[in-house]
Amino acid sequence: MRTAKQLLPLLIAMAALLLLFGLWVPNFLHHENMLDLVQQISVNAIMAFGMTLVILIGGIDLSVGALLALVGTTTVYVLTRGGADAQSLSWMVLAILAGLCVAGGFGTFNGLCAAKTKMPPFIITLAMMLVARGAALRYNQGRPMHIPDHQTVFLALGNGRLFGAVPVPVVVMLVIFFLAAILLHRTRFGQHLYAIGGNREAARFTGIPIVRNEILVYVICSTLAGIAGLVHTSQLYSAEPASGVMFELNAIAASVVGGTSFTGGRGTMYGTLIGAILIGILDKGLNQAGIHFSSQYIVKGLVILSAVYLDVRRR
Amino acid sequence: MVQAAPDATQLLTLRDITKRFGGVTALDNVDFYLSRGEIHALLGENGAGKSTLIKVLGGIHRPESGTIRIEGGPAHIRSVADANRNGIRIIHQELSLAPNLSIAENIYLGREPRGLAGLHRRRMIADAEALVDDLGLKEIGSVQTLVSQLSVAHRQLVEIARALSCQAKILVLDEPTSALSEAETEALFVTLRHLRSQGVGIIYISHRVEEISRLADRVTVLRDGRAVGTQPTSQIDRRELVRLMVGRDIAEHFRRPVCRRGKVALQVDNLTSPNIHGVSFDLLYGEVLGLAGLVGSGRSELARALFGIDVIEKGTIQVDGRTVSLRCPQDALANGLVMIPEDRTREGLVMTQSVAFNLALPWLKQWNTMCFPDMRKRREIVDRAVRNFGIRVDDPERGVETLSGGNQQKTLVARWMEERPKVLILDEPTRGVDVGAREEMFDIIGSLVESGMAVLLISSDLAEVMQISHRVALYRDGRILRTAKASDITLQEVMEQLTGAEVDENR
Repeated sequence: MRTAKQLLPLLIAMAALLLLFGLWVPNFLHHENMLDLVQQISVNAIMAFGMTLVILIGGIDLSVGALLALVGTTTVYVLTRGGADAQSLSWMVLAILAGLCVAGGFGTFNGLCAAKTKMPPFIITLAMMLVARGAALRYNQGRPMHIPDHQTVFLALGNGRLFGAVPVPVVVMLVIFFLAAILLHRTRFGQHLYAIGGNREAARFTGIPIVRNEILVYVICSTLAGIAGLVHTSQLYSAEPASGVMFELNAIAASVVGGTSFTGGRGTMYGTLIGAILIGILDKGLNQAGIHFSSQYIVKGLVILSAVYLDVRRR
Repeated sequence: MVQAAPDATQLLTLRDITKRFGGVTALDNVDFYLSRGEIHALLGENGAGKSTLIKVLGGIHRPESGTIRIEGGPAHIRSVADANRNGIRIIHQELSLAPNLSIAENIYLGREPRGLAGLHRRRMIADAEALVDDLGLKEIGSVQTLVSQLSVAHRQLVEIARALSCQAKILVLDEPTSALSEAETEALFVTLRHLRSQGVGIIYISHRVEEISRLADRVTVLRDGRAVGTQPTSQIDRRELVRLMVGRDIAEHFRRPVCRRGKVALQVDNLTSPNIHGVSFDLLYGEVLGLAGLVGSGRSELARALFGIDVIEKGTIQVDGRTVSLRCPQDALANGLVMIPEDRTREGLVMTQSVAFNLALPWLKQWNTMCFPDMRKRREIVDRAVRNFGIRVDDPERGVETLSGGNQQKTLVARWMEERPKVLILDEPTRGVDVGAREEMFDIIGSLVESGMAVLLISSDLAEVMQISHRVALYRDGRILRTAKASDITLQEVMEQLTGAEVDENR
């Protein structure tokens, strides 16, 4: 009930935006256009789910955008090696695992630094963003790496349609949303995160293992960035070492617009999903309305600012 | 008791100052006078209202009623800036210097001398040197030293220099010696006497009776928010001062729980950490052991070490006769120790969440297995706690921040009682709660003890500790001076030992 009440303004804003662009842009509300929209937001939404966990415990992860590129390049690199085996499904699984392991490694490092040292997460992840970006650019001299056409399964991850209707990225996004919502809203782990974000000292006095939980949060966030990286790479038909720039900020924006408090302790997965959709509608709507991209930035910035202002004032 | 005559030419006159916080009267028609060139001590127990009075004077609190006159004229002090304009400077216990700046920069912070090209550094340094010389503070050394390199004592002197560079007429020092060595204290006294000779009026807050009788010209004793007397220090001996401080009629409603002393629950031997120096004691089931000490004596540090928050260097801790290693709160909890920390909002409750969230948090394992939260079980745990401990809240899903201090404190205690711990460590359980809630808290402690729990009680209110505890451990500077049955020792004796009044009288 409480959650529903908090989400109401977001839902109203979403409806208002849909109405606005529906009137402004012909065929904006057509179901194919809508499906396209959901598909476009899925990468950002997947990253935002992880970001929400991090922000919830009072942290931040700036490395996810660069990590997305690194996971993509690593996976495609492995995918295109392996000689005769390269065509097999198991080789693809291996390639994906290699990518996700890199993501997990970065997450573990971020989490260890955040939990065990006094370095602020902003700086830790800023530094790791540079490291990840640099590592991504080392593949193929920084040029895009094409995914071989025979990798139909991998390409389907970003471009296929389940039952010929629902885009696979949307399915992936919904599955992750479902799991993330359970994790945050129904498990002990989720309760621990609210306690840590709300009052770290109090959580410590309650006997909550802060270090373990914090590391886990960063690992989840990085892994989700990795999955987003796989989807994104597949969507582009190639791994682009320079992709994912500013994606971390989009994920933060989705999370914060969705009501996650930057000081920690407040926020929901539902809110983040709606936040990601709101930003997606705005992007697509302004684009299709023919607004110059320079103005799009300005409008988006002001919308994010006012959304957060309203949220802060409501408290 | 003789009151000093209100004199129109007094430097500072406070009359009928009353200040309430919610239902608590912190200051009750307090009168206070300060003359030029006088060191006037403000003495009182923890919570007697010394700090509140100073905050009224400093413009941090606004009194409900009363008047402040400076040099005979009415003064309207509504902010710290007003206080400064009136020549009032307060040096708080937590010093307010910028450690990354030099002494000179700190003295002139916010009003740096300006030259043609911005900051006139040379003039600032020269001015600071002149000031430091003038005050006889040469010992702090070059004014270009960074404050971070100074000792606490020297930082205090810098604060004093800064205050006087602003033409302070009234200088207030809040417990200035709590972190100083004896030699440093002596040096501070020399400086203060020097300032007195220059006509500055000094209000000196302390609960160290011995210091006051050496330094101050007059002393005003506060007790329970009332000024119980002002006298020249030459006409009053230390024992009399202590008697004035504690001499209240201890309310009847503090009922000491029936003592059914059982086996030893907790035994501590030679516990040592940076702030604890070889503490040993035992705590029995069905007993309240009161840890009586003044603010800053390191009692909270002992509690934190026992709960696995602070690192223990040496010593053993036994629970039920078994040696345990307590390296984190999880260890302590697993061994049946629970601690209710001193600072409710900072260390105790998750203020952004509901009462129910806070009550159910320690028992997650009981109501949330894997991803199936059993909301009925959670509700039962919450309802039990609310009912058994009389937490006044209409809907437990309400935010815990909306509760009163007393109910927050009850929430904090109640949430650990779903499965009773063996040992309950209470750090200042009645701080900032009103009289009614205080009684309820003591009823709760009483019933827990009577059910066999072992309680270690830390409180600044010595009368309270004496009243509710079966045994009292006198704690000072990280050491237990003495442990005694509460019925064998008087509050007067406790206060004398803790303030050092007794020791010095025997010298």
